[in-house]
Amino acid sequence: MAGNIYIGEIIRNEEIQEDCFLMKVKIAPSFENPLPGQFVMIRIAGLNDPFLSRPISIYSFSRGEESCSIELLYRVVGKGTQILAGLIEGSQVEINGPLGNGFEIQTVKKNIVFIAGGIGIAPLSLLMESLSRKTDCSSSAMIIYTGFQSAFAVVGLDKMRNLCRDINVCTDDGTVGKKGLVTQVFQKDMKKFTPENTSIYACGPKEMLRSLAKILNKNKFDCQVSLEERMACGTGACMGCAMAVKDKKGALAYKRVCADGPVFNLADVIWEDK
Amino acid sequence: MKTKTPPKMAVNMGRLKLKNPVMTASGTFGYGEEYAGYVDLKRLGAIVVKGLSLKPRLGNPPSRIMETTGGMLNAVGLQNIGVDAFIEEKLPFLRKYNTAVIANIYGETYDEYKKVAKKLSSAKGVHALEVNISCPNVKNGGLSFGCDPKIAARVTRIVKDETGLPVMVKLTPNVTDIAVIAQAVEKAGADAISLINTLTGMSVDLKTRRPHLKNITGGLSGPAIKPVALRMVWQVVQRVSVPVIGIGGIMTAQDALEFLIVGAKAVQIGTANFINPRATLEVIEGIINYLAVHKIKDVNEIIGTFQS
Repeated sequence: MAGNIYIGEIIRNEEIQEDCFLMKVKIAPSFENPLPGQFVMIRIAGLNDPFLSRPISIYSFSRGEESCSIELLYRVVGKGTQILAGLIEGSQVEINGPLGNGFEIQTVKKNIVFIAGGIGIAPLSLLMESLSRKTDCSSSAMIIYTGFQSAFAVVGLDKMRNLCRDINVCTDDGTVGKKGLVTQVFQKDMKKFTPENTSIYACGPKEMLRSLAKILNKNKFDCQVSLEERMACGTGACMGCAMAVKDKKGALAYKRVCADGPVFNLADVIWEDK
Repeated sequence: MKTKTPPKMAVNMGRLKLKNPVMTASGTFGYGEEYAGYVDLKRLGAIVVKGLSLKPRLGNPPSRIMETTGGMLNAVGLQNIGVDAFIEEKLPFLRKYNTAVIANIYGETYDEYKKVAKKLSSAKGVHALEVNISCPNVKNGGLSFGCDPKIAARVTRIVKDETGLPVMVKLTPNVTDIAVIAQAVEKAGADAISLINTLTGMSVDLKTRRPHLKNITGGLSGPAIKPVALRMVWQVVQRVSVPVIGIGGIMTAQDALEFLIVGAKAVQIGTANFINPRATLEVIEGIINYLAVHKIKDVNEIIGTFQS
């Protein structure tokens, strides 16, 4: 576990879409270079309500000579994120991180497909940037399928325009891109890909990942997903963020999203019956 | 104004000598290694490890936790790797630090308590046992061992008969009169008593009208429970003569000092670790500062000095 605690200074915290904020935090240079898929636990020091830190995946990272900075792309979903959204430039936040295991980049295949739901685009964006810097990925095509509720919720695409060969946007209401769920849109295109020539990385709401599992598992595609769960510690101690996952022998185990994940093989995740 | 020599922090918990009165609470500090990057483990009074059962335990299905005002609910269901894996895989790491290791144990039957206690008693590097009697007694309709003074006493006696290590019994607050249970376990041979475990609570999702926790109910912890814990510790210290360890919502040195003043010999830091991994060290430093500022040479001089 590489995490450590830092006092970060907010240098930007802007609503870039309805209820969606981009926070940039200046942090000491000893902060380790995060791997795509890793997250931080963020809180306002001394505040007991909301009580727990919030896990937010790292959207981007840059290192300067005297400090480094991380960007967090987050949606306001409750009390914690609401308070974060209200912080002004110059405010301090407590950052514990980088935490968890990032995406594993194994053999580079011809197609690298990203499937994002809503704010799930954040860790995939960092992954895409990181892959684009790898020379052995230069001949791979990066393709993203990304779904949002509606046009007002579309975020995170700007950075991708230079990196992706195809950007497939869809919305639940059809106000931008194709109408429908991202999993449905991807499924229609699936004939273009084979498990041998395609790696898939996904992040999004549980329902999306559950549908994706149904589509991909029977076709034996290799897919890594970044999961989200309520967390207390973020460091593997509290066992609160359990997810049902197959262990090496195929038996049910409750793995910690924070310390065993947040990235898992989609085929290992056991989805609860609805 | 600081005194020239730093105040003495060592306390005795019966036969067990601690370098200071600050321990971790079981279930909030993993097996130590999860926090080794944040905390110099050898500075702790003791490390109380995650509760151990005879066999590995899967734990409850998610969702397991929910934030509440000033605290959190958990229904982890005592997920753990089992006593054998602990001895083999986790204890060697903890032995490297010169800090007391207290193994928290639990069972669903008397026999399980007995067997876990026996295994740990011969393991090198375990300095004491803490017996969790808050878990459900399978043979008694799932009612907690800790709810009935006779059953609580019987568990204590069984563990005591099985081990030469000091035995601390951890009490549940979900009872009518916690002091009665405390007296029963003292009489049964407990060397120390720790309290409180979590308070049973629940929380409802307004969108779905379902419980936030899959288990419906869970244990409430965090600063919200501190006044209740403090009251219970105060009640228990008046009725028993063995050392009492205060647990419940301690976030700061001020919180810890309140427990010491009402008569706790030591304290455990639990949920605070989750939001501040360095909470234990900050509490230790804060107590030292308080003692220095008040020109108190030894932490023992403030224990039980409560004026009612």
